[in-house]
Amino acid sequence: MTNKSTIRRVSSAVSLVGLLLLACMAAGAATASGAGSKPAMSHEEQLRYGERMYREGILPNGKPMQALVQGDVPVSGSSFTCVSCHLRSGLGATEGTVVTPPTNGRVLFQPRGLLQKNFEMVPTVRKYSLSLPQRPAYTDETLAECIAGGVDPAGRELSRTMPRYHLNEADMAMLIAYLKTLSDRLPPGVSETEMHFATVITDGVRPEDVQAMLLPIETYISKKNGIASAFKRRPQSMRMAVNMMGPDLVAMKMSLSRWHLKGAPDTWRAQLEEYYKKDPVFALLGGIGNGSWEPIHRFCEDHRLPDLFPVTDYPVISSKDWYTLYISKGVFQEGEGAARYLNTMHELLKGKTILQVVRTTRRGKALATGFLSTWKAFGWPAPVTVELSADQPLTPPLLDRLLTKEKPAVLLVWDDAAALPAVAALAHRADRPGMVVMSAVSLGPELRHIPDAARSYLYLTYPYRLPQDDVRYDSFIDFLIKGKSFDEQALRIVKQSYALGALQSQALMEMRGEYYRDFLLDTIGMMPDMDLPLYERLSFGPNQRYASKGCYIVQLGKGDKPELVKRSDWAIR
Amino acid sequence: MLSARFLRRLLVASLVLISVAGPVQAAGKNYQRSIVKYTMPDVVLVNQNGTKVRFRRLIETDKTVVVDFIYGTCTTICPVLSAGFANLQRKLGADSRKIHLISISIDPEHDTPQVMNEYLKNFRARPGWDFLSGSREDIDRVMKAFDAYFPTKMSHRPLDFIKAPSSSVWVRLDGLMGTGDLMSEMKKAGAL
Repeated sequence: MTNKSTIRRVSSAVSLVGLLLLACMAAGAATASGAGSKPAMSHEEQLRYGERMYREGILPNGKPMQALVQGDVPVSGSSFTCVSCHLRSGLGATEGTVVTPPTNGRVLFQPRGLLQKNFEMVPTVRKYSLSLPQRPAYTDETLAECIAGGVDPAGRELSRTMPRYHLNEADMAMLIAYLKTLSDRLPPGVSETEMHFATVITDGVRPEDVQAMLLPIETYISKKNGIASAFKRRPQSMRMAVNMMGPDLVAMKMSLSRWHLKGAPDTWRAQLEEYYKKDPVFALLGGIGNGSWEPIHRFCEDHRLPDLFPVTDYPVISSKDWYTLYISKGVFQEGEGAARYLNTMHELLKGKTILQVVRTTRRGKALATGFLSTWKAFGWPAPVTVELSADQPLTPPLLDRLLTKEKPAVLLVWDDAAALPAVAALAHRADRPGMVVMSAVSLGPELRHIPDAARSYLYLTYPYRLPQDDVRYDSFIDFLIKGKSFDEQALRIVKQSYALGALQSQALMEMRGEYYRDFLLDTIGMMPDMDLPLYERLSFGPNQRYASKGCYIVQLGKGDKPELVKRSDWAIR
Repeated sequence: MLSARFLRRLLVASLVLISVAGPVQAAGKNYQRSIVKYTMPDVVLVNQNGTKVRFRRLIETDKTVVVDFIYGTCTTICPVLSAGFANLQRKLGADSRKIHLISISIDPEHDTPQVMNEYLKNFRARPGWDFLSGSREDIDRVMKAFDAYFPTKMSHRPLDFIKAPSSSVWVRLDGLMGTGDLMSEMKKAGAL
């Protein structure tokens, strides 16, 4: 009797808890779906919420999605977003031993066979396809079951690395609606037969620098089009090219427009809009400008247009923007390198003054900004900063007065070669700072003529591989520059542009025939590090937007033909 | 006559040798387990606070050490490894102080102290979990010492290494695993 009564009480309690749970779930669903007093959500709103779930792991109610990985590890959706594995395009990736399948509606709602049609013999695509099991097409219901329970429509359990997300019905529907929009329509600038690009050239750039930028890109396009023509004439003889590129890319022609921007930068946006309207392109390749790249960067963000490796000293420094991929942070990176180097001497510099003399040109300000933002992030107080207007020379008496007043342990001179006499005059000063730092790039050809007396205390930021080491890479670009004459600056641009050609050709071959803009950037983000001329290491990674991350601190050696001598690692820590 | 102590040592040595001969699939599991001896390089790395640390000194400790190789912008393998570390700390509660978790960056050019600090915050890491970076040369030396050299970060594999206090051998776990498996391996290694 007692037992029966206990069982009845427990049973009632379980029923009550069950009812409460059901009520809570229903309430949750109602809130999430906006039912009740709230007006119904528009399709656009649903897609926005779906995108937020996919990219940020945040539910429509503002809370993080919840999930389990590896069977028993609870994780927050904001750490385990869909986008982190399936990528922004939803077209999946391979990283190490983990292969993630596409999650865009166009692919999910088709059955998956053993191999991708027409790509059976393309090694990269073949390997990717064979890593994924065959399955019937998903439906909305089976997709929801898969996201929540980790079982595909063939009844196969997915890898335990795939999070099992707890989502209510309304939130799940929004996520699935968003997946259906991912990479579903070819972007402008791509057709079955052609891929069209543009390169932006702004006013005031030296013609030889423009030619240096164009040379590798146009050579790449010309060679690619040569392959397409040969394939059209004799497809049987192009088997190797087909196997490397796939049957679509091998036959595709490429073209490049030149978009010249004239006048003041605040008029560029209108010019870019006009060009884009008349001449839609898949992506911007290279490009060159003397000033800030910001107007072009913003245009590309707004039009979701990839912009690869523009030649600019002044990129936009952002950890969130997506569409422009820079080869480095430009001048900013040298200031950053100086701050990192000085931070390695924190014991010596504690409580000491650092004096920063800044020429208020674009270059001087970018160097100072790079230094200051990095220096402050390390927790140091801001240095004493003295600004010099464009027409105010840094004379030895002026520098003497500043040093007498501030007595700095380190002097940073963010100026050009005109400051060298004042810096050299410090050799005779008994209480000169232990270290003077300048930008090697800002010194231009005068770098090799630093007075002997200053070489012992003058340290330089140098954001490239050292010239004596880079000669090993000359063979990479010999075929491009043979019979042509370039000065040091133009040669550097050829090398930067060559890196773009290497990057782009590799990325297109790995895109599995899916020529979507976000997937181009996703693919680059998953590419192995590259060892090319000019920079020690170009590395990518999801959301990394500056391929070269290092900067040496060097000194000029002794003698008439001095070499640069390393005083730091490439990546200073 | 052979002493019981000698026989015990012989048995342990034989077991180690058998394990060193090659990794074995952990029974019913998706990862491989092996017991290995490594010699650590004497390199100076930098942690998420920007503090320089002598790596060998960090390893030669009276705490259990668990090491993995990750990078800050990794999308697939590393978040799973790191969620495992975070969950391990939660499950161990106060005992997590006896364990030193060490994640070593395989993308040292990108993983600055700021990036690493942010990464650990994102996983709600507790004290006792350090993320280390350094020069490419030093990181390469550490990877090679663990027989885990990846020329590029995109070719990396999921690996965990466990060393019990005062032990001279490492348990090498090759593959992704849940927290239950990791804890059971730590117990097996005498590390919990």
